[in-house]
Amino acid sequence: MMQNVKINPYQFLVLVIFFTIGTGILIVPSVLATEAKQDAWIAAIVGIGIGLLVIWLFTTIALWFPHLTYIQINEKIFGKWIGKAVSVLFVAMATLYTASLLYYSSTFITTNMMPNTPIVALNILMMGIVVMGVRLGLETIARSAEIFIFVFFVLFLIVVVFISPQIKFENLQPVFEAGTKTIVQSSIYFITSSSVNAIVLLMIFPALINKVKQARKSFLIGNLIGGIFIFIFTFLSVSVVGADDTARQIYPSYELAKRINVGDFVQRIEELMGFLWFIALYFKAILYFYASVLGIAQLLNLKDYRPLTLPLGVLAVILSLVIYPNVVYQKEIEQSTEIYLSISIGLFFPLLLAIVYAFRKNKLKKESESP
Amino acid sequence: MKKCIVTLLVLTLFLSGCWDRRELNELGIAMAIGIDKTENEYVISAQVVVPSEVSMKASTGRSAVTLYTATGETVYEAIRKMTKNAPRKMYPGHLQILVINEDLAKEGIAESLELLSRDWELRSDFYVVVAKDITATEVLNVTTPIENIPANKMFNSLKTSEKNWAGTEGVILDELVTNLISDGKEAVLTGIQVLGNKETGTSKQNVESITPSTRIEYDNLAVFKEDQLVGWLNEEESRGYSDITNTVKKTVTSITCPKEGKIIIDIFRYHSKIIGSINKGEPEVDIKIEAEGNIGEVLCSIDIMEPETIDKLEKIYEEEVKEIIHQTIESVQKQYQSDIFGFGEAIHRSNPKEWNEMKEHWDEKFSDLTVNVHIDMKIRRIGTVNNSFLKKIKD
Repeated sequence: MMQNVKINPYQFLVLVIFFTIGTGILIVPSVLATEAKQDAWIAAIVGIGIGLLVIWLFTTIALWFPHLTYIQINEKIFGKWIGKAVSVLFVAMATLYTASLLYYSSTFITTNMMPNTPIVALNILMMGIVVMGVRLGLETIARSAEIFIFVFFVLFLIVVVFISPQIKFENLQPVFEAGTKTIVQSSIYFITSSSVNAIVLLMIFPALINKVKQARKSFLIGNLIGGIFIFIFTFLSVSVVGADDTARQIYPSYELAKRINVGDFVQRIEELMGFLWFIALYFKAILYFYASVLGIAQLLNLKDYRPLTLPLGVLAVILSLVIYPNVVYQKEIEQSTEIYLSISIGLFFPLLLAIVYAFRKNKLKKESESP
Repeated sequence: MKKCIVTLLVLTLFLSGCWDRRELNELGIAMAIGIDKTENEYVISAQVVVPSEVSMKASTGRSAVTLYTATGETVYEAIRKMTKNAPRKMYPGHLQILVINEDLAKEGIAESLELLSRDWELRSDFYVVVAKDITATEVLNVTTPIENIPANKMFNSLKTSEKNWAGTEGVILDELVTNLISDGKEAVLTGIQVLGNKETGTSKQNVESITPSTRIEYDNLAVFKEDQLVGWLNEEESRGYSDITNTVKKTVTSITCPKEGKIIIDIFRYHSKIIGSINKGEPEVDIKIEAEGNIGEVLCSIDIMEPETIDKLEKIYEEEVKEIIHQTIESVQKQYQSDIFGFGEAIHRSNPKEWNEMKEHWDEKFSDLTVNVHIDMKIRRIGTVNNSFLKKIKD
């Protein structure tokens, strides 16, 4: 088909890091602290562990067919019609989440920086660069991610170094008060948003990557590194801002950055945190969007996905305006309905796929041997 | 070519307006906000910078700040209503200090703080203080020397006195809210007072004399229970509070000499830790203090060049501070039954299970809690002279 471009494992690693961090860096600490209180950081570690298992499952499935994307695997294993039906759901989820991320970014801006700016304008601007990136192709996206990861690291270090003097270990005590059940429960949101949703990366992995064996490692390591970023911010939020306050804040890491004050000189630099978040959010949105356009193109057997970018981009902007009526609704949905949606598409179908594959293994092998 | 035109047309759509443009000359920068309450309305006063008076060149000698007041059923309403009176919309991003009226504090401060923690323009790094025996508006109405903007003077004097004297607490909004909702720690706030004639304090003449006739001064700590002010500590207790809660950075403490007279110790390093435990089913708290100090002033005839004397002085310091701490705790336990020291949190940290059982009736438990104080004090240096010349005079 149309995809001759291939990215290397390092570029893929960077994309996975950005995808894992995504929106989580600002929101996850609050969600974790709501139930687990001062044990939120333990919940983050648990989340990373379970997340890695999920990624391991994805890579295993994907490596059975190293030249196919997820949509093509679906069709191959489930058969033409059921496979297409599953893929439609998958593409719908990717599109929906693109819109959802647009809503996140504009809500953040209108809450914290520019309350009077209509979110349509913000969403169109954001979607504009996402569409632009996708039209330029995966290689361009990957290369720009390579550049931005440095910016990201530097900003991250600045925030962490400047806030670290304010860590109060008393805020973390008593350790392990929440109990195992609560901790695992509260980590579910984190697992779905950064690992289960990574199913969309199966549109890139392994078909569009040149060294597949190494790429598998990149997938796992990228997920781990992204998870560690979120862990660090959860740890800092709880130990600096306090568990109660972290849970009460909508954007706890932003509040964290507001606290930075080194000698009355280095202060009011919370926009760094905003910028950090935008970089990660942009790449997450672009990966969702790429998965959805490429998915639709493959579903319809189109030669090129580019004609789809603009119409689907417009659709995503409109969707982002109607997807949530208000912020409270959004928080409610993202912590209940979206988790079920993600788990059914990102975990249930892949598992089903693995089971069906186990039954049809021999038949599929014969097919491929005698084409 | 066509593409270019289309792009330009699309761009003009977005670049034509900026919805959140606000120039500096449209902002009324509020440096201090005061909250009072009449019968059922809030009276909000905001001390706003007059930009032309702050700049070096164009200053005409008028006051550097001006005060706007407005009333409303809620804080937010009142602040917005202020535009009826002020030419610019209030911008609270540089807020330094929030003054709350004592009577309002007695009724409860939580409601008036809600907006301040929710609004996006506010940062939580401003201090909250209680106006003692006076309205918040009157406090904000006093001109101050050295610092042109009274809000800065209030902010800086609280900061420096907290750092160098102890007994005052610079409580920022977040700390206050955390303490208000915590089961195991109640809030304290520093009191602020106006000394002298309130009427003359408002004019520029007040700061033209060497000793201003009206001055703003910090008082001692106010004790809260839930969000209501229940009473005031005296100076010694306020300093005892700082001693316990590890907010002492530097301070001077006077101790009695073995025979008579006083010696002043200049404490330059101080650390205290509260450790909770459960002893035979009953909560207990240990306060561990490590301090280092220099001899600052010797007002008695004593041979400080003897190593034994130094040991003795360290002992006396330990005894006396221990006494102050015990007195402070006892008076708070007896008078207010309000755990301002955070002993409950200490027990929560050490014994979470037992804490969950006792947190419902912690106030009673607190009032007969056993507190053990362990102090380790070291005298390091004695200044630039050895034995005092006072010794020679007296001999």
